[in-house]
Amino acid sequence: MNDYSFTKKECDMGKDTMESVKKLFTTQSAKVDTNRGGEYYTDLYETCRKRLDELKALPVVNNKLDFQETIMDEGLDRRDFLKWASATTAMLMLPASFTPLVAEAAQVMNRIPVVWIELSDCAGNSEALLRSDGPKIDKIVLDIISLEFHETLQAAAGHQAEKQLEEAIELFKGKYLLFVEGAVPLGMDGQYGTIGAKAETFKDHLLRLANGAAAVIAVGSCATYGGIPAAAPNPTQSVGVMDVVSGKPIINIPACPANPSNMVGVVLHYVLTGKIPELDSLLRPKFAFGYRIHDNCERRAHFDAGEYVEEWGDNGAKNNFCLYKMGCKGPMTFNNCSIVRYNEAVNWPIGVGRGCIGCSEPDFWDKYAYERPMANANIKAPTGGVEKTVDEFGLALLTAAGIGIGIHAVASAVAGKKNSEKDA
Amino acid sequence: MKVKYLIEKIEGEAELEFDFKNGLVDNVNIYFPFYRGIEEILKNRDAMDALVITPRVCGICNHAHLIASVRAIENGLNKAGINIDLTQKAISLREFTLSCEIVQSHFKWFYLVALPQLLNLDRMKCPDNYILKASWASTNIVKALAIFSGQWPHASYAVPGGVSCDPTYEDIIQAESLVDEVIRFVENELIGMNIDEYHKRKEISNIKGDMAIMFGMLDKHNMKIKGKSYDRFAVFGEHPIFQTGQYNKKYSNDIDFSHIEEHPQHNSKAKSVTYKDMCYEVGPLARAIMTKNDFMLNLHDKYKDSVLTRVYARLDETIKLLVHIKSLLANLNVKELSCTLANMPKALEADGVGMVEAARGSLIHQSIIKDGKIQKYNIITPTQWNLSSGTQKEAGIAAQAIKGSVSIEEATFIFRTFDVCSVCTTH
Repeated sequence: MNDYSFTKKECDMGKDTMESVKKLFTTQSAKVDTNRGGEYYTDLYETCRKRLDELKALPVVNNKLDFQETIMDEGLDRRDFLKWASATTAMLMLPASFTPLVAEAAQVMNRIPVVWIELSDCAGNSEALLRSDGPKIDKIVLDIISLEFHETLQAAAGHQAEKQLEEAIELFKGKYLLFVEGAVPLGMDGQYGTIGAKAETFKDHLLRLANGAAAVIAVGSCATYGGIPAAAPNPTQSVGVMDVVSGKPIINIPACPANPSNMVGVVLHYVLTGKIPELDSLLRPKFAFGYRIHDNCERRAHFDAGEYVEEWGDNGAKNNFCLYKMGCKGPMTFNNCSIVRYNEAVNWPIGVGRGCIGCSEPDFWDKYAYERPMANANIKAPTGGVEKTVDEFGLALLTAAGIGIGIHAVASAVAGKKNSEKDA
Repeated sequence: MKVKYLIEKIEGEAELEFDFKNGLVDNVNIYFPFYRGIEEILKNRDAMDALVITPRVCGICNHAHLIASVRAIENGLNKAGINIDLTQKAISLREFTLSCEIVQSHFKWFYLVALPQLLNLDRMKCPDNYILKASWASTNIVKALAIFSGQWPHASYAVPGGVSCDPTYEDIIQAESLVDEVIRFVENELIGMNIDEYHKRKEISNIKGDMAIMFGMLDKHNMKIKGKSYDRFAVFGEHPIFQTGQYNKKYSNDIDFSHIEEHPQHNSKAKSVTYKDMCYEVGPLARAIMTKNDFMLNLHDKYKDSVLTRVYARLDETIKLLVHIKSLLANLNVKELSCTLANMPKALEADGVGMVEAARGSLIHQSIIKDGKIQKYNIITPTQWNLSSGTQKEAGIAAQAIKGSVSIEEATFIFRTFDVCSVCTTH
């Protein structure tokens, strides 16, 4: 059994923060606004309608694959496609009446040029996005997104590829979406990672491409916060995209790997509205990062009932009990994995009895790390600031939620013990 | 004449510096302009942190890293006198997921790297459906993997003592159907015949499908004699369908970690690695040679470690693994325990080595743990074996194979038959 308990001080703090956490999650500003009223949506609908018509009039940027044909190739029919469109509409927090627009948007995605570059990374997000993951239609949509430049997928290589990139950023100046995978190493004058025959540093490469982009989308925890390369002692002095790029809209899609559904969501939102989606203080789209893993977890009922896995392979594990005591960071992690899951939604980490490691939160490598129970992790709980919102407070307060939840976990375990004593 | 050439689409870049003499490649230096310092990052961390950090070395073979780091901890625990007995169920599940990862990587190599590059040699354009084929086949096999591992890439479902998942029969049936679909893909697209027929083949020329296109083109470009290296092979990781050991003119099943040595390379953060002071090839060809099946031995007798043999070994392995993982699922006993070690001992002192066969060859993790913290962590990746410039004494495996190439295009194709990965090599 895990041997950890809370000190009295922690418990007192917990009582305090439990109240504040309650307030936090019920204040208006912290909520994701899913109903903005009829007028708002009528206006938005008009804007989207106009935008789509404009896009349709544009020539196809790169007609590599025909959409209808691709759908047939994958053995999917119109019905499946509309099913996907309505699910995506819901994911983007739009009313059901927007479904036909989303379906249309998917089909004009090849009007928006996308440039995808890899910096200090492991190629995991490319893998997730372009080859191995995502609900089936997302994948097809991505096949037809006009990927003007993606090192792995484009046919050209070497100098030819470099030329293609230069042409693309010139031709689509101010229009392309720049997807960035990987951190930016600043140490040793950027020599820890260079690109191309001229050995341009990752930082210079990023700044040059970001300059002509409509928006920059940082994909994965490395591009967002520096991720693994930036973990202590940060040997290469790596940072995230938002620490380097300024003067451009930046959207962060953290997680390791980032969920392809969220990447598609961001592109679709841009195609549909011409704007970037609503973001939180860490520049993450609220439609994906507005809720905690814990809020929609399939094991949540066991948490509420105080039923926990206490050791690997115990009875609790066999019965799919809550993994909080094994160090699951679901209660402190904002992401939609518990809804969209992974690999065409076949499963997700909690589904195989491994708690969340909080991979979409800043510095999780150092703060959260392995499935160390929260009480043992070196995370400071904040004090005060009841009125502050999730956005203003960021990670610190979420940890307070953790302490509050910790109290619940201990209390429920005690309650459980008492019951069993009575039974005996 | 010295020529520098940049290679892309390898999860990063590599720079090859060729030395041409009389129109042929005389020597080559291989340089990867990249570094993250994963081993430095692991130092002083909680021992278990390695399980979530090391998979992030590579987005393609992340699962192999997970299993290697689990094995390193288990090996350390065993040496420290804490006996770890995995159940057959845990062993099978780890093997299943590991094999799926190898298979997806081979598909991608074949359709996204090898075929387009070969076509490029003839200035032919690659049909778009190669991308879709690669994506379809690898998506499905990875889905089967994710049923047990929770996600791919970067799963962390393996824990010291076993695995965290507890699959039901329903999960197994779902995985079986996915594997069946992928086998159908192999039969219809890759080899153009059913697997039983494939097993009866006498010659490579009997094989049909996309593989026939590949072998036709290899033949045309004389790849039966090109790309030969030292004909030395090593297999370190245990896997029921591969035999561990080494081959250097003769077979030996003795292989000892203590003979492995890493050497820093000039101008690169990637280290080269030797066994008994010699470069050895790892990967599908090494595994095929050590496992000694008749067809393969025949091929090796005729063509040695040429490109043809190397490519054939990778494709043959794909099929063998698919057949193997089907039987793993069929024989899985869900009633067994998933994990036999409840908790990690506190203040652990351990020194362990974990060796695994990954898509590109033997992957080795060594962890020295004191007082529960990582003192030293060393990762030796398969691509370090195959893709270094070499040592003072001899050129590296791929560097040797490239010698004698008539053009840069030919040389880079031969280089890619080792399945290049920049992020692994440098980590």
